[in-house]
Amino acid sequence: MRFHKHDPFLSEADMTPMIDVVFQLIAFFMVIINFEATQADERVKLPSSDLARPTKVKPDQELVLNIGFVRDEDGNPLDPEPFVFYAGDEKIRISDMAAKLNLEAEFFQRKNKVANDSIKTTVIIRADAEVPTGMIQELIKLCREAKFEKFHLKAKSEEP
Amino acid sequence: MRFSKQRSGYRRIEAQMAPMIDVVFLLLIFFMLTLKVVSSEGDFSINMPIGAPAPSNEDIQTLPIKVRLTADENGQLAGVSLNNQQLGNTDVAFERLNTGILRVIGKPGNPLTSDMEVEIDADFGLHYRYTVQAISACTGKVNSKGQPVKYIEKIKFSQPRKAE
Repeated sequence: MRFHKHDPFLSEADMTPMIDVVFQLIAFFMVIINFEATQADERVKLPSSDLARPTKVKPDQELVLNIGFVRDEDGNPLDPEPFVFYAGDEKIRISDMAAKLNLEAEFFQRKNKVANDSIKTTVIIRADAEVPTGMIQELIKLCREAKFEKFHLKAKSEEP
Repeated sequence: MRFSKQRSGYRRIEAQMAPMIDVVFLLLIFFMLTLKVVSSEGDFSINMPIGAPAPSNEDIQTLPIKVRLTADENGQLAGVSLNNQQLGNTDVAFERLNTGILRVIGKPGNPLTSDMEVEIDADFGLHYRYTVQAISACTGKVNSKGQPVKYIEKIKFSQPRKAE
């Protein structure tokens, strides 16, 4: 029986395009993570503060509430009373938020299987700079009635 | 005289476009990453425990430091006061507030500050930006090196004042 001799030529895989693709993927995921990190709503113009720094430890669970105005093309509020931009496009008056907050509280209680006392979820308030402070206080009051007790107020960082 | 055609050695060189496109994409993504698309956000922690008892007048030690913010009819800042001491109604008032808080705590990082609490009492219509400025002034200061120096971290709101 005769065996054919194999060609001694060694084919080497070209690694350059593979490395290129890996770099592209890394960069792509970096961009995606950056975008996902903030649940920003462009309708909310946050107040700025030089002491507001991103938190080192992210809360385990958070409920983000965006409060702002519906504005016209020139940026003037169409309605003097602010809305909570809830679950994307839904606009709810702060005074009507109690039912939604109770639902959220119930959801977190069920998720964590905790008793009907306090909820460890952090409420993150992203409010427009022109919203009356009393409205924010009213919202915090409603959150407390729904058993939320940890609050973070968001502000734009003025880092150098 | 006859010239011989130099056929040997003649090769058509084609530019490799694929690596060039790869590099262009990498550069593009690099600049996208360096560009601040979304401005970074920071936050202030607000301590509002459920069912917290109102501070009694008998226990002076646990009385919070009270910051009062008043507003005009347009929601602009009309006045800032720290424990009933008027500080003004401009940005300088917040600097005075910052200095006043430092005077109360003695020095930054004082262990006693862990028990201290600032209560923000703002008018209903006051624009939220001034409240954040007040919270920022109570929370600390950025030193000359750009590092934050913490004063008091426990902040809470008083009961909302009724809208007129």
